[in-house]
Amino acid sequence: MFEPVILLQILWTGIATSAPFVLLTVGFSLTLKVTGLWNFAQSGQMAIAFYAMFFALHGLGLPLVAALALGGVLTCGAAWLIEVYGLQVFRDRGSDNLMFFIFTLILSEFIIYVITLIFGTEPETLYESILSPVDIVGGIAISDWDKTGVALAAFALAALYGFMRYTKEGQFLAAVSDNAKLAELYGISAQRAYRVTAVISGLFIVAAMYLIGSHGGVVPNSPLELVLSAVIGTLLGGIGRVFAAAWASIFLALIQSFSILFIGSRWQNLLLYGFLFATILLFPRGVRLSWGRR
Amino acid sequence: MTARLILPRRKLLATAAATGLAAPFVARAQGKEPIKLGSALPLTGSQAGYGNDFAASWRMGVKDVNDAGGVNGRPFELITLDTQADPQLGINAANRYIQVEKLPMFFTAWSAVVKAQAPIANREKVLEINAGANSPEIATLGDFVYTTFPLADVDITKLAKYVFTTLGKKTAAVLYINNDTGIDAAKIYRDTFTEAGGKVVAFEAYDPKATEFTGMLLKARAANPEIVHIHGLTADTPQVIAQMRQLGMTQRVTSYSAAYNPKLLQQLGAAAEGLIVTSLAPGVNDNPNVGKFLERWKTEQNRVPNGLPYCQYQYDMVVFTKMLYEYVEKKGQPATGETLRDALLAIKEFELPMTGKMIIDGHRVNKPVYLLTVEKGAFVPLATL
Repeated sequence: MFEPVILLQILWTGIATSAPFVLLTVGFSLTLKVTGLWNFAQSGQMAIAFYAMFFALHGLGLPLVAALALGGVLTCGAAWLIEVYGLQVFRDRGSDNLMFFIFTLILSEFIIYVITLIFGTEPETLYESILSPVDIVGGIAISDWDKTGVALAAFALAALYGFMRYTKEGQFLAAVSDNAKLAELYGISAQRAYRVTAVISGLFIVAAMYLIGSHGGVVPNSPLELVLSAVIGTLLGGIGRVFAAAWASIFLALIQSFSILFIGSRWQNLLLYGFLFATILLFPRGVRLSWGRR
Repeated sequence: MTARLILPRRKLLATAAATGLAAPFVARAQGKEPIKLGSALPLTGSQAGYGNDFAASWRMGVKDVNDAGGVNGRPFELITLDTQADPQLGINAANRYIQVEKLPMFFTAWSAVVKAQAPIANREKVLEINAGANSPEIATLGDFVYTTFPLADVDITKLAKYVFTTLGKKTAAVLYINNDTGIDAAKIYRDTFTEAGGKVVAFEAYDPKATEFTGMLLKARAANPEIVHIHGLTADTPQVIAQMRQLGMTQRVTSYSAAYNPKLLQQLGAAAEGLIVTSLAPGVNDNPNVGKFLERWKTEQNRVPNGLPYCQYQYDMVVFTKMLYEYVEKKGQPATGETLRDALLAIKEFELPMTGKMIIDGHRVNKPVYLLTVEKGAFVPLATL
C-alpha cells in the first residue's frame, strides 16, 4: 500500500474528489464573508441545480450546455429571489442571526420537500452511465471526470480571484464584507453586493452539482449532507477566508483519502466530524497559518 | 381490492405522487369484513426504488387473491407503512400495526428494520415475518420473528463455494457496506471461502453514506485478488463497481440479489459484463408464472421491476398469508400472533405461485439459489445451486 504509485493515486483521487466540495465550500464561504450569514438555503439551491439539469437532460432531452444553462438560470434565480424576498426582508426588520438561520434551514427543507414530490427519492444521475473514460498516466488512473473536476474547480477559483481582485464589483463585495455600513457611506450598495454574491454562489453550486451528479447517485436529501462539508471547510479555513476554505476542503479530502493507509474505509467519513469538533473547539476562527492570506 | 398506505405525514404527498396512489381506491369485492395485511417497506429514501416496487407487487398479490375470493370470502386490506429502511421508522411502523391497527402479524424487510422491530413483536406476541432481508441474525431474533426469505447463509454460502470450486478462484476480496446487510453476509462469504480452501486477501467495509471508494479499492487492488465480492445496496454497488473498473481492476465481480437490478446495467454498461448475482427465486425459464408476472409489470407499470426475485416474494406473501388464515379458520381459532405462528410451523410446506415450494425450517427457509451473470448487457442464467 505504500508504493509510490498507490500514494500518487490516492493523492490524485483525493484532489479530484475534492473538486465539487471546493466549489460548494467557496460558494458557502463567500456568502458568509459578504453577507455574514450561514446560508443553509444553499442546500435547497443545490437540489434545484441538480434536478434542473437532470430534468433538462432526461425530461426535455436537451444537450448538456442547455442543461447547464437551465441549471444556472434556475439556481441563480432562486438564490436571487431568496436574497431579495427573504433575507433582505429580515435585514429590513432587524431580525437577529437565529431568525436567518431558521429561515434558511426551513427554506432548504421546503425546497427539498417540493423536489421530492416532483422527482421522487430514487438516486438519480445526470448521465445514464456513471462510468467515465480513464487514462493511465504513469500507472495512475485519471478519469475524464477527474480532469473535468480539477479543471472546473481551478477555473472557478481563478475566475473568482480575478473578479474579486481586479473588478470594481468584486472590490465592492470586499468592501461590504469588511464593513457594510461604511461601504454604503462611500456609495457602495450593500444590497447589490448581497445579490451579486447570491448569483456567484449559485454558479459555484451548479458547477459542483454537475460534478456530483455525473459521478454518482443523488437523492433530494443529498444536499443536506453536502452543505455540512461546506460548513466544515468554511470553519477549518477560517470565517471570511474564502480561498483558505477552498484549501481546507482539499486538505480534508486528502486526509480522508490517505487515512485508508491507516484505518478502515468505514471510518473515513467519521474523520470529517472529528475535524469539525476539533476546529470548533480549538480553532473557532479557523486554522490560520502564518503565511495565510484572505 | 382494498389498500391503504400510511406514511410519515411529511412524506405522504411525496409517495402518493410517486406511486400514483394519491386517490385512495377502495373496492370491497366480497363485502365481508376485510383482513388487514401490514407490510412495512421503504417507500421513500434511498431504498425507495426497491420499496415501491415491493409495494406494487403486494398490491398485485392482494388484487389477485381478493379477485379469487380472498380468505373464505373476506378480502385483504393492505396497509403499507413507510420505513425509509430506517430502524426508528420501522419501530414506529411496528407500533402502529400492533397498537392502532391491531394486526396479529405484519411483514417487513431490510435487516436493520427487521432487527429493530423484533423486540416489539416478541413482547406483544405478534408474528413478524421478514420477506426480504437476509441478515443471518434474523434467525435468532425470537419466538415471534420468522423469515420467508432465505437468509444470507443460504445464497452467500453457496455462492462462495461455487466461486472456489467451480470458478476455481483461490483468492478473493470482500468489500461490504458497513450495516446489518453487509457485515454478516461478508463474514459468511469470508468464512465459507476460507473453509473451502481459498484466501480472502482483502476484507473492507465502507460507510453507508460514502460516495468515494478509491482508497478501499486501492487496498483491494494491492492485494491482487482473483475475484471481488461486493455486498452493498442498490445505490452504492454500481458506484463501487464503476470506480473499481476506472482503477483498472478487471476482476470478475460477484454480488447478491440486490445487484440483480436492471438499473445497474444501465449505469455500468460494459463494466457490468461478467457480474455474477444470486437470485433466490426461480426465473422466467424455471416458472411460467414469472413470465406472466413480468408481462403484467410491463403492462401496468411500463417496465420491469427493480429486484424481480424480491418482488416475487412480496407477491407470494399474500398467498402465504391466505394459507395461514385459512388454517386457523379451519381449526376454529382466532387469528392471533400465536395461532398464526403455530399455523406457519404446522403447515411448514407452502406451494407459492412465484417462488415455488417454500419449506419452513424453524427460523430459516431453504431454497435453491439461482446464479445469473451479465452477458451482452443482460442477466442470463448461469447455474442453479
